[in-house]
Amino acid sequence: MNRTARGFATVALAAAAFAPAHAQDPRLGNRPDAPTRTAILAILDSAKAQGIPLEPLVQKMNQGLAAGADGPRIVAAVRNLKAEMATAHRELGTVATADEIQAAAFAVHAGVPAVELGKIKKQSGLRRSLTLPFTVLADIVSRGVPVEAGVNAIRSLVGAGAKDADINNFQRNVSGDIAKGAPPAAAAETRAKAVPAGKPESTRPDQDDF
Amino acid sequence: MPEWGGGRTTLEMIVQELQHPVRLDESFERRVMVRVRRLHAERRSRGWVAVASRITHRPGWAAALAASVVAVVTIGLIKSRPDAAPDHGVGTAPVQFVLVAPNAHSVAVVGDFNNWGLNDSALVATNHEGVWSVTAPVPAGVHRYAFVVNGKQWVADPSAPRSTDDDFGMPSSALVVEDSAR
Repeated sequence: MNRTARGFATVALAAAAFAPAHAQDPRLGNRPDAPTRTAILAILDSAKAQGIPLEPLVQKMNQGLAAGADGPRIVAAVRNLKAEMATAHRELGTVATADEIQAAAFAVHAGVPAVELGKIKKQSGLRRSLTLPFTVLADIVSRGVPVEAGVNAIRSLVGAGAKDADINNFQRNVSGDIAKGAPPAAAAETRAKAVPAGKPESTRPDQDDF
Repeated sequence: MPEWGGGRTTLEMIVQELQHPVRLDESFERRVMVRVRRLHAERRSRGWVAVASRITHRPGWAAALAASVVAVVTIGLIKSRPDAAPDHGVGTAPVQFVLVAPNAHSVAVVGDFNNWGLNDSALVATNHEGVWSVTAPVPAGVHRYAFVVNGKQWVADPSAPRSTDDDFGMPSSALVVEDSAR
């Protein structure tokens, strides 16, 4: 191999080494068409740089493919989810888990201001996962509970130390009440009062139980 | 190979084997140190900061290290026996998906825990007089999923929170699986 050929080979190897790591990401496979794939990879690149979890974005693409959506619609959905997760990530801070960020993005999508989610996170401290509370908040708002009433209900539940099982029951009861014709705000406010109070969450996450 | 008598456990046999003294060529340490010094000299000549420390050969430590490796491999083999209890893996929990659909011919579950059924990974529910159900281990975390009725109609789980990001005109539900290992 002469010097020129070696030079080309070196440049090619260097280019391959510095290419985005997920260009060969097996999760994308070869399912999306080339333009869709390129657009999704660009979104993933941007998300990775911002510290946003990538798996929900890949699964959003998979959901679109399974639903038979066309490429532009899939790209738009992935881009929206990335933007919502970025907003949630900014408000929740670096202490938030990937699941909390994704659940918060659901709530943002439903119309809950991200700043309200940040307040709930600050209130709850580090030990209480907010994945389910945020998921339930998104659900009840999508069922017609006004944002303020929904946020107040979730804040009171989390503040009272309600467990995930209690919050699951709260969601079922509220959705059942609304299905039977109850005003959504009244259903949320009333059912939040009925949840048994557990041990209030500490706002000092480093405080141990003895 | 030593003859292992009956009635002893595998672990006892491994321990006995490892208790045999390890005999090495007398020139072993000298040859190792020659190689180390050569490597050290090469690194220095490249301008790297290299710190070489004397390597000593201790048969006792070697035997202990070997025993650890054997133990790890043995435990791994025991855990992977086909007749061992089913293990859903750390961070997963069995989840039962139920849909009442008396007129359905088929019901499947697709979600981000099975890549939305791509590559035929959908969970196929079984029919109990119109009550369709399937139970599967699902990783801890938040998930979206939907039922697919008769291979084409997407249906949200009426007993679960809604997934609000209905971007593709197909209803779906949200599921939060707690990490039982936590």
